[in-house]
Amino acid sequence: MPEPLALADRFSYRYPGAARAALREIDLRVDAGEFIVVAGRSGSGKSTLLHALCGLVPHYHGGEASGALRVVGRDVADQGPADLGADVGLVAQDPEAQVVGATVRGELELPLEIRGETATARARAVEEVALALAIPELLDRATDTLSGGELQRVALAAALVTRPRMVLLDEPTSQLDPVAGDELVGLLRRLNEEWGTTVVLAEHRLERCLSAGDRAVAVSDGAVAFDGRPADFLAWAAGFDPALATPAARMFDLAGIEPMPASVKEARAVLATRGLPGAPARPVARPASPPARLGRVALRSRRREPAALDATGLWVELDDGEAPREVLRGVDLRLEPGERVALMGRNGAGKSTLMRAAAGVVEPVRGRVAPPGGCALLTQSPMDFLAHERVGDELPGAAGAAALEAVGLGWAAERHPRDLSGGERQRLALAIVMAGRGIGGTAPALVCLDEPTRGMDRQRKGELSARLGSLATAGSAVLVATHDVEFAAGYATRAVLLGGGRVIADGPASEVLAGGWYFATEVARVLGDGAATTPEEGAEVLRAALSEAGA
Amino acid sequence: MRSALAYSPRPGPLRDASALAAITYFGSLAAVALASTNPIVLAGAGAGVAVAGISAGAGRALGTAARYGLVLGLAFVAVNAVASQRGETVLVRGWELPVLGRIDISLEALVEGAVLAGRVVVVLLAFAVLSASVDPDRLLRLMRPVARRSALTATLIARLAPLAARDHARVREAAVLRGPAAAPVGAVATLRRLVAGALDRSVDVAATLELRGYAAGPPRRAAQPPAGRRSWRFAAAGVAIAGVGAVALATGAAGFEAYPTIELEATGATMGAALALPVLAALPFARPGALRPPRRGVAHA
Repeated sequence: MPEPLALADRFSYRYPGAARAALREIDLRVDAGEFIVVAGRSGSGKSTLLHALCGLVPHYHGGEASGALRVVGRDVADQGPADLGADVGLVAQDPEAQVVGATVRGELELPLEIRGETATARARAVEEVALALAIPELLDRATDTLSGGELQRVALAAALVTRPRMVLLDEPTSQLDPVAGDELVGLLRRLNEEWGTTVVLAEHRLERCLSAGDRAVAVSDGAVAFDGRPADFLAWAAGFDPALATPAARMFDLAGIEPMPASVKEARAVLATRGLPGAPARPVARPASPPARLGRVALRSRRREPAALDATGLWVELDDGEAPREVLRGVDLRLEPGERVALMGRNGAGKSTLMRAAAGVVEPVRGRVAPPGGCALLTQSPMDFLAHERVGDELPGAAGAAALEAVGLGWAAERHPRDLSGGERQRLALAIVMAGRGIGGTAPALVCLDEPTRGMDRQRKGELSARLGSLATAGSAVLVATHDVEFAAGYATRAVLLGGGRVIADGPASEVLAGGWYFATEVARVLGDGAATTPEEGAEVLRAALSEAGA
Repeated sequence: MRSALAYSPRPGPLRDASALAAITYFGSLAAVALASTNPIVLAGAGAGVAVAGISAGAGRALGTAARYGLVLGLAFVAVNAVASQRGETVLVRGWELPVLGRIDISLEALVEGAVLAGRVVVVLLAFAVLSASVDPDRLLRLMRPVARRSALTATLIARLAPLAARDHARVREAAVLRGPAAAPVGAVATLRRLVAGALDRSVDVAATLELRGYAAGPPRRAAQPPAGRRSWRFAAAGVAIAGVGAVALATGAAGFEAYPTIELEATGATMGAALALPVLAALPFARPGALRPPRRGVAHA
């Protein structure tokens, strides 16, 4: 039997000062050439496991480790990340925290230069990895001008440029649009098949990657809770932790259909054997409402009350210091009070810029944008909003205390913002941007959130969705820019798709998120024809079809 | 909009100089400022940094750093005035403050605070210009042979300012986006947030650097182009600036005592040192022709 690439034997680890172990008696074997998908809730220990496999745990983070862990034949207790770096690459959760160079080319050349590669070898390796990841046009860009999605691809390129034997990826699709996310998983599969690179991929959005994996490992509370085939994992998840199941598997579980499908193709095959409805061979391009057209209901409400957002012919150019580029090109968009809207589109489509224009932090060169009742914008990093030493100091006075209570943080007034969890920081930042923006103590007419679900598991996304829903019920239009199609389908009543700085689709979420290849939910792709977008709706369709077939 | 402190290649002699020469040059200006208690010499060092920043095309970086420096400086002056109960020229006597009780504010304490603030501000300005005009990748490569075993040290030296610069635009925008009822964010809080965030992220970047093999294997120097004339000029200016500072300190020309009464050395040597610093700082930017006297033409009948 060949020696495994990594072998953990009752490996446990505790961070310095932590009360509980982050990893508990992990037994895990990773063989060369495997593609392993690691699943688990937020805080379950997925990231720590990846950090252990590259030696950052315990060498970089400190803390106490016990048991044994060998990676590429070396004992991790003795050899650290620098020793393992030649064989193991890591793409961490936050791409901004792993960019070392000032330019993309410098970033990709650095590891090769450190290893003493010649200039010719460096140039070739950089060119090849840039082509593989579709980033040749980024090579001469400054890294601080890149978007989150672009940074993610650059970070992956930097991890792959030395052709490591094993690459570890921690939620690499969290900042990527569905197209780029699918491309990335396809590329990883290709690396795995053609180069023999071992891939260990931790993800929340398993519907994107589970079908690419040979094996699934579920981590729960620091321990390996499941280790086996992806299809068996879904059956396990349905019984033990439904939050980890993919949307198609949840749909099947709710409809009482077995076996659980690891991919859209498998789901359709199972449905076909039962004579149930599945997607047609081609996706149905459903005609979404044209952007400028408003339904009768919307027109009536327009006459009654002012819009929460009214953008007409909005044209915005941004200059990152390199050259001005057109980001929004004539956007017309009107949001009514109480609407729950998902703003979607590829990386660089103009989603963040549209929100920033609505909040008044970028000036349009043409057109106009007006949120007459005020606009609160929460950008991608909640930590940017937390500037004081006490949570209570962020929102002073009785109104501030009430705002903290409203977001469920009344208990944290004396705490340091850094001591809060990721979700709590997001809630605090939301309270900060909304503070005092409404008229007469109400919520602002428009609340915008830019990629708020990054790094969240399904349960936390559900909590966020409920919180935003209550804002909408209170009268705010809530606009969420997201790449998470599944979240958008569960949360939004309307979806707006941006492409190249223009609105290319605008209509009910159930229509927009059912009619395409990429911006469609897994359930919509399984059932096709816009029958349903969420697992619950899909299960209803399947139950109805089952009872019809039974009758 | 990119932060003014972010590096961008600017045409000029500094772009072509080696990272070592640039470090020597800006490091000397910062070192003279840190070591000088004499306000006149300190003003000379400040003028030198300003000349360097403007000549390097990093005027925006100077302006941004000066704004934060001013707030930080005022905080230094205020704290020193309250904390230091020395000095004979009492301006405010028996001021009642909560916790601290009765305090006096003296002219000497204010001046000492201002000098302390000036030293910090000049160092801040020097690093702002360095961050905006010297390629951090070259600094990082320069660090490897020196700090090979510590990726964190290298990151803190070479990447702290770029990381803070990268955060700066975002944090500034977040401050604008706060609701009107949220507590405003002052320059000190922003600076604290930037430094804390950059330190945090430096640790992450250092981890990445370790994984990329920074600390492994024999130290390798990246294939650097041979030091050109411009590198030598910046290095020589740096050495000369350090020399002027050292001589001023050693001869007492940079002497200054705040207590019990202000005693300021203001001899010809002090003035000479203060004037020499901006002139030396400007020299590497001067066009070679500008340093030579024009050739006299020969009039032919």
